[in-house]
Amino acid sequence: MIENALTALDALTDPLRLLALFAGMLVGMVFGMLPGLGGVAAVSILLPFVYYLDDYSGLAMLLGAVSVVYTSDTITSVLLGAPGSPASAPTAIEGHALAKQGQAARALGVGFLASMVGGLVGAVVLFVAIPVAGPIVLLLSTPELFMFALVGLFFASSMIGKDLAKGLAAACLGLLLGVVGPAQAAADFRFTFGQVYLLDGFSLTIVALGLFGVAEVISMLAAGGGISHERMTVGSWGVGFRDFWRHKWLVLRASLIGVLGGFVPAVGASASTWVAYGHSIRSTKDKSKFGRGEIRGIAASEGANNATVISDLVPTLLFSVPGGPAAAIFLGALFSFGYYPGPRMISQHPDLMFLIVWSVALTSVVGAAACFAISPWLARLTRIPFAIIAAPLILIMVIGAYQSTSTMGDIFMLFTLGALGWLMKHGGWPRAPALVGFVLSGPMEQYFWLTNQIHGWSWLARPGVLIIGSIIVIPLLLSAWRWFRTHRTPGEEGPGDEDAPPPDTSRTIALVLAVVATAAFTYALWEMFTFNPASRLMPALAIVPGLPLALWLFYRGLREYKPDFAHDAGELQILIALIVYAIAVWMIGLSIPTIALLCWMLFMRAGMRVWTGAIYGLVVFAVVRVLFELLRGDAPVGALLPIS
Amino acid sequence: MRKLTTTAVLAALLGLATAAHAQDGDFAGKSIDVIVPFGPGGATFVSAKFLEPYFEKHLPGNPEINVIDRPGGGSILGANWFEQNAKSDGTTILFTTSSTANPFVLGQKGVEYRLADYRVAYSHPFSAVAYVSPSTGVTSAADIKNAKAPLIYGGIAAAASDLPGLLSFEVLDLDVKSVLGFNGRGPVRLAFEQGEVNIDYQFTPVYLTQVVPSVEAGSAVPLWTGGSMMDGVLKGRDPIAPELPSVYEVYESMNGKAPSGIEWDAFQGVASVTYAYGLTGYMHPDTPQGVLDIFEKAVTDINADPEFQAESQKVTNGARLNAGPSTEAAIKAALSPPAEVKEYLRTLLSKKFGVKM
Repeated sequence: MIENALTALDALTDPLRLLALFAGMLVGMVFGMLPGLGGVAAVSILLPFVYYLDDYSGLAMLLGAVSVVYTSDTITSVLLGAPGSPASAPTAIEGHALAKQGQAARALGVGFLASMVGGLVGAVVLFVAIPVAGPIVLLLSTPELFMFALVGLFFASSMIGKDLAKGLAAACLGLLLGVVGPAQAAADFRFTFGQVYLLDGFSLTIVALGLFGVAEVISMLAAGGGISHERMTVGSWGVGFRDFWRHKWLVLRASLIGVLGGFVPAVGASASTWVAYGHSIRSTKDKSKFGRGEIRGIAASEGANNATVISDLVPTLLFSVPGGPAAAIFLGALFSFGYYPGPRMISQHPDLMFLIVWSVALTSVVGAAACFAISPWLARLTRIPFAIIAAPLILIMVIGAYQSTSTMGDIFMLFTLGALGWLMKHGGWPRAPALVGFVLSGPMEQYFWLTNQIHGWSWLARPGVLIIGSIIVIPLLLSAWRWFRTHRTPGEEGPGDEDAPPPDTSRTIALVLAVVATAAFTYALWEMFTFNPASRLMPALAIVPGLPLALWLFYRGLREYKPDFAHDAGELQILIALIVYAIAVWMIGLSIPTIALLCWMLFMRAGMRVWTGAIYGLVVFAVVRVLFELLRGDAPVGALLPIS
Repeated sequence: MRKLTTTAVLAALLGLATAAHAQDGDFAGKSIDVIVPFGPGGATFVSAKFLEPYFEKHLPGNPEINVIDRPGGGSILGANWFEQNAKSDGTTILFTTSSTANPFVLGQKGVEYRLADYRVAYSHPFSAVAYVSPSTGVTSAADIKNAKAPLIYGGIAAAASDLPGLLSFEVLDLDVKSVLGFNGRGPVRLAFEQGEVNIDYQFTPVYLTQVVPSVEAGSAVPLWTGGSMMDGVLKGRDPIAPELPSVYEVYESMNGKAPSGIEWDAFQGVASVTYAYGLTGYMHPDTPQGVLDIFEKAVTDINADPEFQAESQKVTNGARLNAGPSTEAAIKAALSPPAEVKEYLRTLLSKKFGVKM
């Protein structure tokens, strides 16, 4: 085994292969930074070039790209607040809050180091686990997978926040978004409104970009000025290193959570990142800083998402069942090189397995170093007026969203969910529980249904189920005991201070959102009765608590109503402009509305001078067109005016 | 993952991407888009990439082939896109499976493509093999009715690629519990290895690389294949696994007579689209016959190419491509089944599997 590992290392140090690895890494870094474009886009764009290389170089190139995406996405998440990829949404929450306080360097430093450790832990586990990973994956049958989804939900409950009603309602809304599309249990298509686009449900990328990215861009555009009002200096990494060292065990635990998440096919980086983030909240005594810039949240989620992307390769290589979308493309590349992953893979191609381990390990270290090197340069961007960055940023998000089906539906959905995210942001609804609910509702329903169909109720007694169940039950018992003790001893203070006034919440928007949510839940309730009984369970789980909560929030909204809308009118104007842009693209194709949007942003909002603005706008437009060609082959064509 | 060769990128950069037209049977300097309505990394995509170099080599003028994935709507979105955008000169091909054909045959909502009107350029057989777990006590196909344990089949959705497997259970009158709702056939195979389901169908390439090791290790027992077309009936043995009987033969040995009746007609129709013409390259309805003749010639050349023979031996045990009028006639016939077969399928799917039509 050691001998194979050394042979593989020797094979990788061939200059051409190293060059391929680092070329892949560079592409992965760029795509990781572009919000909405991640490992899948990076691997897709590299795939054709891979076929010009020999098998080891080609695979090293793909691995270089895959392993660095979750390191470099930290940069976008922290500096811009738009998640560089769906799995870095927690980093966007905590990291961007820190960046606004002028602590970008600290957030980035911890993020990169945690990413590196996550990647290395993934590589080590892959190395050690190659002989034993097969049985572990086989141990995880549907009942165990269902329990993992429950653990995820349990951890997610710690993200609800102070306003219990709004947090729970947001989670229910997320669950409801997650059940759109095909039901797992019976042949129902739920809440598709007769649209073919919705037959597959929502894409995670679009939901994450919409809820977090679009809303963030709108707020920053409206605020004017740069991203940070403080001077963002990314130069001294010392604090970040110290923070990382203080939380090293958290990073390690988060990485192991990520590794486990990767073993479960098709759960992926997003779910395990949220679980790790939830774990960091649970294991922190003073929870007050979560959501306002807590370094532990970054440490945990960055450790987890990098580890997941590597261990995703375990089911891919051993069972030919891809762990995630990027792993699926990697699998396709393996097929094309004549490798057929499966039970024989380890005995037939041990060198290849170790080549993968080395590529991942090397990229994790070099990628983190490269991110450290470029961050100070990128941080300077945060001081120029945001409107200048916003234009390309929004267009990149459009391209990222357009990757999922390359129909107009992607673009409409991005801005519709963007509007929802904006309403939630200003209505005081936490967006994290919504995204977690969305991510988990699919696997929870699927595994519950399969488990019950296959095993009846006997699965409850399976040892694996009991072990995983104890992850939920033991902390619950512990906190119940603690609660019991504090409440029996007089004089001690219970966990309190619930009535802190929510900052920057618009009461008008809260009311509007309550009305929207009430309407959505009411309609969903009505449509639910047309489904097969087996397809009703998961929607019911969202609607039964969701509708009363929405009604309660509606009532509360009416009672607390104050005409404070003027405050957010500027942001609403930008939101409307973006929706008009989407409709215009649908009507007259990509080019004209994009040029109009660029003109509006660069001249009206950013106040650029005619010539600089024109040249910059032209460059942005050209890059956008080239990216469309490169990634999709065709830009959207207008329905009324058939040009793109 | 779109048209992604350097030349395409370059052409795009220079704004020179112009429509290609095949004239006089020559594709020189042209590029052909092969639209796969599934994600990259899936079996259909991988097969399209597998065939790409051989078509580039054997089509006259050596056109450039771009395999383009357009996933969504369970393949309906990609096929609808093809309906709206395909060129009628053979430079746009829809390469897909029964997952696109079944919604068309069943008249599902949202289907805009007129699959039965399309021309058939070529098709790649993609048979499937049924196998059981030894825990059922079954040792061969003849034994299947004596299973000790209840048979549990795992699938994705009744109206998609699981349909022929489910229909084969109807033909053989087997009492199989179908658990639908898996993410793909890969997770089903994992569930089989974990002992959660105990009867499964896998497409041949997967069977050869993933299941055969289990068969050798004694943890899976192969039963039968979907069969191959012989004199217009789906009764022949599959060249990919010639040691296994076809569903037709299994029925014959169980009942002492050839299968007939509506169950058989439905199975044969659906299974021939799924297996015998597993992956099919469709073209625009107005594509001239000349272009189809060129593809038939290319397919003959590809089948005779020793390199293709060697490679396909590894992947599909040497399956050959089909093309020409008889292939097209058979596929079109299977895509327009008689009204009573359609009615039977719709009733079965809605009564037994709760599919809404």
